[in-house]
Amino acid sequence: MSIWNYVVTAHKPTNVTHSCVGNFTGPQELNLIIAKCTRIEIHLLTPQGLQPMLDVPIYGRIATLELFRPHGEAQDLLFIATERYKFCVLQWDPEAAEVITRAMGDVSDRIGRPTDNGQIGIIDPDCRLIGLHLYDGLFKVIPFDNKGQLKEAFNIRLEELQVLDIKFLYGCPRPTIIVLYQDNKDARHVKTYEVALKDKDFVEGPWSQNNLDNGADLLIPVPPPLCGVLIIGEETIVYCSASAFKAIPIRPSITRAYGRVDADGSRYLLGDHAGLLHLLVITHEKEKVTGLKIELLGETSIASTISYLDNAFVYVGSSYGDSQLIKLNLHPDAKGSYVEVLERYVNLGPIVDFCVVDLERQGQGQVVTCSGAYKDGSLRIVRNGIGINEQASVELQGIKGMWSLRAATDDPYDTFLVVSFISETRILAMNLEDELEETEIEGFCSQVQTLFCHDAMYNQLVQVTSSSVRLISSTSRELQNEWNAPSGYSINVATANATQVLLATGGGHLVYLEIGDGILTEVKHAQLEYEVSCLDMNPIGENPNYSQLAAVGMWTDISVRLFSIPDMNLVTKENLGGEIIPRSVLLCSFEGISYLLCALGDGHLLNFLLNMSTGDLAIAKEGELTIGTIDDIQKLHIRSIPLGEHARRICHQEQTRTFAICSLKYNQSNSEEAEMHFIRLLDDQTFDFISTYPLDQYEYGCSILSCSFSDDFNVYYCVGTAYVMPEENEPSKGRILVFLVEDQKLQLIAEKETKGAVYSLNAFNGKLLAAINQKIQLYKWMLRDDGTHELQSECGHHGHILALYVQTRGDFIVVGDLMKSISLLIYKHEEGAIEERARDYNANWMSAVEILDDDIYLGAENNFNLFTVRKNSDGATDEERGRLEVVGEYHLGEFINRFRHGSLVMRLLDSDVGQIPTVIFGTVNGVIGVIASLPNEQYLFFEKLQSNLRKVIKGVGGLSHEQWRSFYNEKKTVDAKNFLDGDLIESFLDLGRIRMEEISKAMGASVEELMKRVEELTRLH
Amino acid sequence: MWKEIRERESGKLRPNSFSNRIRSNRNSSIQLSNYKEIVSPHRGAVNSLQVDLTEGRYLLSGASDASVAIYDVQRATDYEGGGLLAKHKSLVTIDKQHEHGHKYAISSAIWYPIDTGLFITGSYDHHINIWDTNTTQMVMNFKMPGKVYRTAMSSLATSHMLIASGTEDVQVRLCDIASGAFSHTLSGHRDGVMTVEWSTSSEWVLVTGGCDGAIRFWDIRRAGCFRVLNQSHSQLGRRPPLLQRAATNKVSTSKSLSKGQSSSVKPRAPQRKMAHGNGSKQSAASKIPNLVKSSARQRLHPGLLSSQDRATAHYGAVIGLKVTGDGMYLLSAGSDSRLRLWDIESSCNTLVNFETVRLQTGKAIQLATTQDSALVFVPCMTSVKVFDVWSGTTVLTFRGHYEHVNCCWYSLQDQELYTGGNDRQILVWSPSKWNADELDEWSKKGKASALDEDNWSD
Repeated sequence: MSIWNYVVTAHKPTNVTHSCVGNFTGPQELNLIIAKCTRIEIHLLTPQGLQPMLDVPIYGRIATLELFRPHGEAQDLLFIATERYKFCVLQWDPEAAEVITRAMGDVSDRIGRPTDNGQIGIIDPDCRLIGLHLYDGLFKVIPFDNKGQLKEAFNIRLEELQVLDIKFLYGCPRPTIIVLYQDNKDARHVKTYEVALKDKDFVEGPWSQNNLDNGADLLIPVPPPLCGVLIIGEETIVYCSASAFKAIPIRPSITRAYGRVDADGSRYLLGDHAGLLHLLVITHEKEKVTGLKIELLGETSIASTISYLDNAFVYVGSSYGDSQLIKLNLHPDAKGSYVEVLERYVNLGPIVDFCVVDLERQGQGQVVTCSGAYKDGSLRIVRNGIGINEQASVELQGIKGMWSLRAATDDPYDTFLVVSFISETRILAMNLEDELEETEIEGFCSQVQTLFCHDAMYNQLVQVTSSSVRLISSTSRELQNEWNAPSGYSINVATANATQVLLATGGGHLVYLEIGDGILTEVKHAQLEYEVSCLDMNPIGENPNYSQLAAVGMWTDISVRLFSIPDMNLVTKENLGGEIIPRSVLLCSFEGISYLLCALGDGHLLNFLLNMSTGDLAIAKEGELTIGTIDDIQKLHIRSIPLGEHARRICHQEQTRTFAICSLKYNQSNSEEAEMHFIRLLDDQTFDFISTYPLDQYEYGCSILSCSFSDDFNVYYCVGTAYVMPEENEPSKGRILVFLVEDQKLQLIAEKETKGAVYSLNAFNGKLLAAINQKIQLYKWMLRDDGTHELQSECGHHGHILALYVQTRGDFIVVGDLMKSISLLIYKHEEGAIEERARDYNANWMSAVEILDDDIYLGAENNFNLFTVRKNSDGATDEERGRLEVVGEYHLGEFINRFRHGSLVMRLLDSDVGQIPTVIFGTVNGVIGVIASLPNEQYLFFEKLQSNLRKVIKGVGGLSHEQWRSFYNEKKTVDAKNFLDGDLIESFLDLGRIRMEEISKAMGASVEELMKRVEELTRLH
Repeated sequence: MWKEIRERESGKLRPNSFSNRIRSNRNSSIQLSNYKEIVSPHRGAVNSLQVDLTEGRYLLSGASDASVAIYDVQRATDYEGGGLLAKHKSLVTIDKQHEHGHKYAISSAIWYPIDTGLFITGSYDHHINIWDTNTTQMVMNFKMPGKVYRTAMSSLATSHMLIASGTEDVQVRLCDIASGAFSHTLSGHRDGVMTVEWSTSSEWVLVTGGCDGAIRFWDIRRAGCFRVLNQSHSQLGRRPPLLQRAATNKVSTSKSLSKGQSSSVKPRAPQRKMAHGNGSKQSAASKIPNLVKSSARQRLHPGLLSSQDRATAHYGAVIGLKVTGDGMYLLSAGSDSRLRLWDIESSCNTLVNFETVRLQTGKAIQLATTQDSALVFVPCMTSVKVFDVWSGTTVLTFRGHYEHVNCCWYSLQDQELYTGGNDRQILVWSPSKWNADELDEWSKKGKASALDEDNWSD
């Protein structure tokens, strides 16, 4: 691979972090707005369900998402703040159906330490100010003026350093916040402050409450008329106001999300860490609160956000499982649950591990992820393509083609199904019982393969075989007329509509026939220079039975051409480029706009816009043909295997056709959260558990590997574990277990005790390389006298804080340390020793590493950045050779848990794209991404395109793309280098024609060329 | 740690909380390192230590024998004990023999903050020298009016290259590397200046501590000092209750802000420190005089006069200063053996009672704090004490030096502490390695015996 990398998202983030409900797109329209970390989605509530309106990327990780309505506005505005201290206020523009930016700004400070408990952003219910808690000890205020515009922000000192939550109270004459905090004796209290906007200071608030539940973590402000606040603890829930204090005990649980049901704030939905949904009711007599009641409603995915929509419909957003649309029923079902899940929205996050496999052995990679957490853990099989759910099936081998035909021209439904096989044609028809049964049409030639069938005018049917075109009466079912191919030529492809037939024979002959009542007439013949690969003559003009255009796909020059009918003049020709022939063309129109679609042999679909001006068949000039991708089709197909437990590591073994996973199950029946850890063996087709090896008490599976050893033909699963003792800070004991799959069972062949957690295992020169706490250890596979094997340690290397992530290549070992970036080790065969060769001296806290090639290594780190380092073996001094030079830096905005070499798409080696090596990554937010190494020339071209796109495509909320992608950690912020944002580059294809031309001008390349080149990149994922 | 890693990968633990938690875990296990040693070439007391700010890799030490040395703290020069004990010998040493070497003790040795190409030494021979690291040649030199006690450069500065210097003289001078001349002379102290420290939130703000017991704040864009800390100014952090607001409003109509500061916060000490302070006798009403005072301050600035200007932070000399990383607090050490924590914005003595200590007098000491400012490392005679910044309680005491400790430097990158003392040693204090038992086993078996395959072999 190379240092010039292209990063693109193959699967967008699906972890729902925030959601809110309000009238955003119109005063009468109720919207659900969902944040998925770096994207927002706007949905409209309709009687049919949720209707997506917009899905846009945000150049930042969303920290706060709030709807609010300034005085005098008829609808809500959206406030977004990002983790990198940017904020914006968005408004819906109904004309353009997009969001516009009302305000934006930067709220970062030089002073203060970023909060540890996450950023808080809140808006005064009376819209007097926005409050932000971003740094310990500071509360930032952005005041509104009386026109609803934001004024200059200022800080107020907040004395409470360990702030857990801050909310605005309702019904206060002056804006009043309530702060939940922990003191330095670990006791938790709440306190209120009034914000004095004029003095830019706090004033002691009306009340406070000391010594709350030790687990109190969440405040829910109660709207008028009740006002006050609910304080949600782990064992109690308290209602608190200046005049009242009511508490109820609850079953121990950690409440993760809440949703208000009624506008008057008397009922709330609470979602806990186990996915249980409760209803909390504030009982009151008029405005006097009399008590609290809580009731279990049922189980959902573990909620990260709950939005009550309307009419008992609730959206449950989740970080650990699929998000859900649920309905709360008035009466419980048989299991006592009031919750009915109406819809599930796929969430792959958190992807803690994955592997790339080719289960169908077709050369196309699939990704199997360990997704979700806790009870919502699952495996997900992700592959490119569209998923089809099978309803029923008939066993028929070797079908070559299928057409439906009508018994009469004006019949409303099709009657016949013509099924063509390699050497025969059979006809199925619906009988009176609505079953398919075989029938016969005498006029049909059934001893040969059918190339094409169609209904024709005058109650006729057309059948094209390799030797002739047959016209059959659909009433008498008899042959009416036949056109025979000239001897020595056979028909290769054909198409037809109600009045016309177009066919191509070998040698590039194109023949046009017209259908009369009982007669076929050869009208025109044309000779083309190459063979025809596909044809279409679907009428898209005003006459639904007659086409004035024919589309022809060609072999050899890989082009599509348009001919006028009936004179068969070439109207236009478009070279497709590449080596993939067009396999199918179609003329069609969507929403009154005519297109030519062209499908390529590699599964890509191109579309061309046809310019059919004023009745006549003036065809678009060549320059006006456009190519685009059909983006609405879900490119990735995801199959879900719910496990009911949390899979943490996965590995595939080709030879035994199995997967092995390390998983853990939470035992919730116990009050103490007991965990059970397993090694499970799964069939790679059915994904059933076929064998299980339970680990010891306190023993965790940390790493898993399928490998073989020198002088042993068997393939083993090796598992690294750690004993996590409650009293130990860091595991001091672990095991390496070696399993053989025999008779679909995991057989333990050998085990080796280690002095710490085995964070990583790699096959290395026929041996096993383990990362154990701060050490890298190499084990040999030794045959003992009794014929059994054992792992014997050969050599090791110290000098890491924690060697968490290890990759190997040849004799090189690349280690990703807990906090000391990447180091490069080498194994010296002669000495039998491992030595450090070079190191990156930056203080990167690693989350994953991968080797791109002999000299370049890729790392992902704790602050959501990606970087590459290069080995400098030609350095002049030891110091230079001992230093890994940072060559690429980029802010991904995603936390990567794993890199794997591989590809999600079929790689055809003869195409340009097929030569580009790729690495796949998986993230906490459920993103699957691809990093592709580009040749320098391509990189420079796309870098230029990216910088031009930055000028044309403005980030939502006015956020800057350049800033967003700059490498950012506690120590430094530097511009992205040697990484390109594929998501931005590929959005070129979604631009309007005018903006494309703008860019084409700046690039000095034609729109077509740009599209072609970007299109090529989209084939990487 | 395994638990944290697991929670981070599933998204339950935020990455920044993850690193903070691990750092503070490691901080709490710091002890005399059993795997890392710095071999000091100095033949005099080690007075100054600093690791470079760019890579966190090169330790610079300055000593009383007029020598300065550089060590690579990331890469050992050799190993002992079967590879388990890393020795870091100096890569560069400059001493009296050098043609431009200092004649007397080096009191301060600091890195140029932007890269490791330059470093700066200040000496009792009245000189500040600037050195090219690669050629070990002196490239610039400032003649000072007396012994140089301390030098400092701002790590934030993007628009100046000024070395602040505290000397025997009452004036603080700023030496401009760009021009080679003094750019500022700051007058205010009534005695020599032992310690200087730049703000961590503004590149324009300098803090100086003098032998006159004063701590002064300077905005170098303006004349005169804008703040003098007063040890008896220790008002409580209580906000005016609702009823009193009206009264205070009238008084505080004029803004009490100094323009050099970016945020708009009123004077006030953090409430949480109150619990440990002993000033609870002060009532909320004391807010009012303070506000009067702060509005008066604006009139006085520049060149704060009268009683304000004579305020002291310590009885005796101020011998050490350290601004916390968040820029909100200042720690000061005095020859009165007191350590004080100041809230910068309100100039308040927070009255946190640090269980001191006897501090050495007559010499500046170099304090260090951890990244999150939760702990402060203070040289206390022959030991280094580690205090909880917010409560003042002693968390750990490091004993290892045979004579007085002068300086400490905390490496943010490795959570390691380096200390230098009159015993000429530089000691490394590091988080304990998790498998300490390996060392024990090894020493039990002896070097010569057959090494167990499992534990080491390199």
